[in-house]
Amino acid sequence: MNAPAQLDGCSHCLLPLGRRPMQRTVNGEPFAFCCYGCCIAFQVKNGKSEEWDAAWLLIRLGVGAFLSMNIMLISLLLYAGALEGADAWLLPWIHLLLWIFATPALLILGGPFLRDAWVNAREGRLTASALIVVGVGAAYVYSALAVIGGSGGEVYFDTATMVLMLFTIGSYLEAAARARAARDLEPLLAAEREVATIVDGDKEIMRPVREVAAGMLVRIRPGERIPVDGVVIEGQSHSDEAIITGESRHIGKGVGSPVLAGSINIDGPLLVRATDAGTSTRWAKICRSVRDALSRRGPIQRIADIVVGVSVPLVLILGVMTVLYWTSHGILFDRALLIGLAVLVVACPCAVGLAAPLATSLGIGRLARCGCLVRDPAALEALASTRLLAFDKTGTLTLSKPRIVAIESEAGRPDEVLARAAGLERYSEHGLARAIAMAAAARGLEPVKTSEVVALPGRGIRGRTHGQAIAAGNRALMDELGWAMSPALDQRAHSLEAGGHTIVYVGWEGRVEAVLALDDTPLPETRWTIEALRSQGLAIALLTGDAHQAARRFATAVGIGMDEVETGLSPEAKCEALENYRRTHGVVAMVGDGLNDGPVLADADVGIAVGSATDLARETSALVLPPGGVWMLPWVISLARQVRRTILTNLAWAFGYNLVALTLAVLGLLQPVLAAAIMASSSVLLIVNSLRLTRLPDPILPPSPSWPGLTRQSIPTVLSTPSGASTA
Amino acid sequence: MGAYLLLFGAGFLGSFHCMGMCGGFACAVGRDPRGGGATIARHLLYNTGRLSTYCFMGVLAGMLGQIICTPQGINLSSNSLDLGQRILAIAAGLLMIAMALQFFGLVPNLGRGPLGFGGNTFSASLRSLLGTPGPAAPIAIGVFNGFLPCPLVYAFLAQAASTATAPSGFLVMLAFGLGTFPAMLMMGGVGRLLAPVWRRRGVWLAGSCILLLGLVTLGRGILPLESHIAHSWLTPPA
Repeated sequence: MNAPAQLDGCSHCLLPLGRRPMQRTVNGEPFAFCCYGCCIAFQVKNGKSEEWDAAWLLIRLGVGAFLSMNIMLISLLLYAGALEGADAWLLPWIHLLLWIFATPALLILGGPFLRDAWVNAREGRLTASALIVVGVGAAYVYSALAVIGGSGGEVYFDTATMVLMLFTIGSYLEAAARARAARDLEPLLAAEREVATIVDGDKEIMRPVREVAAGMLVRIRPGERIPVDGVVIEGQSHSDEAIITGESRHIGKGVGSPVLAGSINIDGPLLVRATDAGTSTRWAKICRSVRDALSRRGPIQRIADIVVGVSVPLVLILGVMTVLYWTSHGILFDRALLIGLAVLVVACPCAVGLAAPLATSLGIGRLARCGCLVRDPAALEALASTRLLAFDKTGTLTLSKPRIVAIESEAGRPDEVLARAAGLERYSEHGLARAIAMAAAARGLEPVKTSEVVALPGRGIRGRTHGQAIAAGNRALMDELGWAMSPALDQRAHSLEAGGHTIVYVGWEGRVEAVLALDDTPLPETRWTIEALRSQGLAIALLTGDAHQAARRFATAVGIGMDEVETGLSPEAKCEALENYRRTHGVVAMVGDGLNDGPVLADADVGIAVGSATDLARETSALVLPPGGVWMLPWVISLARQVRRTILTNLAWAFGYNLVALTLAVLGLLQPVLAAAIMASSSVLLIVNSLRLTRLPDPILPPSPSWPGLTRQSIPTVLSTPSGASTA
Repeated sequence: MGAYLLLFGAGFLGSFHCMGMCGGFACAVGRDPRGGGATIARHLLYNTGRLSTYCFMGVLAGMLGQIICTPQGINLSSNSLDLGQRILAIAAGLLMIAMALQFFGLVPNLGRGPLGFGGNTFSASLRSLLGTPGPAAPIAIGVFNGFLPCPLVYAFLAQAASTATAPSGFLVMLAFGLGTFPAMLMMGGVGRLLAPVWRRRGVWLAGSCILLLGLVTLGRGILPLESHIAHSWLTPPA
């Protein structure tokens, strides 16, 4: 069971483990943590009292607090002048008492920091823990020497223990807040940990989802997550499939209804026959993809990491130099030492390391809960700075259910044309191909057996039937093959195309035998989406392989201007067009269906695939929207921008705070204990700022005739700009 | 000294109120299987942990009061009650009176406000410590217990702050904490709660004590110096 713990990230906050995770055994099981705070928080939450291990940590914390509070108390009384005058002879004894208290306190509270610093130092790395250890150690050693010397000089045991105490509390609070953030991600990482109730005869056994095979019966109680893809064979209920499809309405389920793994069974018990193994569901793939994304680091994060790595040794040097400077300027050595300690404490770059990952994972989790998958944090950052959004028409802005509206054939045998075309097109997943195959099926035609099928991206498809070459595709394909066409057919094709229909030419034996006219209905919410995107300051472009007239008609219908449309593009030409846009606009995103535009999506700064039917693992796009999820784009973009804003404000705060406080500390204006307190609260502030991301509203379906239940008034809540409301 | 006796008494009587919440912890610290002496030691450790938290907060409150008063340019060694300290005394007195009224059930509960997720995690952490053997666990429980939100503690912290010096704040909370010792030790020894009737009387007594203290503190802020009855009581022993 060791491996899953490693795979899942920190057992407490689910964020990726660092290069050197902490390992602990809680309740007899091994767990891995990203930081000391998470380790404490996890044990506080899950540790059972019988488990000595968990309790031990809390006892350390409690006893450490007991000792350091007493040290602080006595020291404060001393500072307040409780032992002046007649009682002054007691002072050395009080100092000795403080030393006796401080030594175990230091060992108890400082142990974890020391271990972390040591483990990293052996590998040649200096971490933030090293700063704490060096600073606190120096204060302690100096004070101990002062007690031994008996000179009656000042001691700083209180500072040493209080700094440690505050850092321990700070990391605990941080971990508690991070766990709260992680609740958002929990369902997305749970796929492999989920347990299914398998019905075997009259027995019911609990098994991990990965052991579920196709054909098994699984019982799901109301409120539980459905662990497998399958078909309902008993029971009636509603389910919430938002996490898979982005659909926020509850969907009724009865006997025979398909259910999706990852959706929530809301109000009735269900018995489901699994149609797929537990590990091959879309949900399991989504979970793997989210985990992959979480383990990657965005560009901002990488820069922050470098800064942290560089800053630790610099701060150490700065601390030493500060001490030397103040000593040489006539300040007592112990005062100078304290100033140095304040410098080390305040410059501890914990907050900088926390600024980006938390906001990014919250953003990824937020998107994933609505069915939008981010495959790389870098994509989220790029999306936030995108200036132009290019659409690929086919399948993304249309209902992706084109219908055949006319068949013009040379010999007047539409059924034969359709049967041949269907035999070829059933090998393709292209929207037009499916329409042709479906039309054939609707007429009850048997597709003609076809072999040696080759898909030609951007042009069509060809193969062989009974030894004859057959091809279906656009005009370019026919010209390329050199296949001739009768003038009458050519005439018909032109007039259909002028009417805005998409034309598929079908030919065999060196002749174009027929043209199929397909109608491609734009998605009802496309117009609204385009306007919403414009109001977010994005430029829009339509790059399509379709012929000029069809694309024009379509563009007019959805509110895209003529100057924003480029028609008749091959995939290579689309890449070129993107390159042009990149020069004129900057960061460019491409929206496609992820099937026949894979290279273009990969070529864009952000490739966005809508409702991709291909295997998620082989997906080339950086962002995957659920089927029919184009309307979510404005929401996705505003979320990406929000995430970026959060990261930047976090970093600005972390760096700004560190710089200001560091200056004060170097000038000797900041008490070390105060510095530690501000340091701890600074991290908490970053977390609170990042947690605001969890409160962003859900995407709301735009108003359209197909969703009469939704009112137009609800749109502006999705967008900050009001112009979205002006669309009808 | 009289003032501290009054505080001790208020703590003692007030602790009958505590039994509802902290009494549960005292019971849960439990008995030591090695016998009576070990059990007493266990409970003394627990109460010492609690006391040190109270004292620590008392010193902090006293210092806070001092910080609030100091910018007014007062000389703390003199007996003159300056404006800052008067305002502090009025605020503390009003707070204590509010707490007392709450004990009588006359105002809604004030003490449970700041219990967020931190509070939940906190009580969860205490739960996991209960029943752990060894001398360290009771201290830890006591320390954490001392930080649990409690109107009684708040009232006395307000009192500690109004003294405006760290040592007096320390002594206020020490007296209060020691006052809670008998009842809490008894809880540990007897291991069951007092009869409800007695607890109600205890709460009533605690409320009266806090009300009295609150009135005295308030008086310190409002009344002119000459007519100040409790003047020698609640000013720091210089």
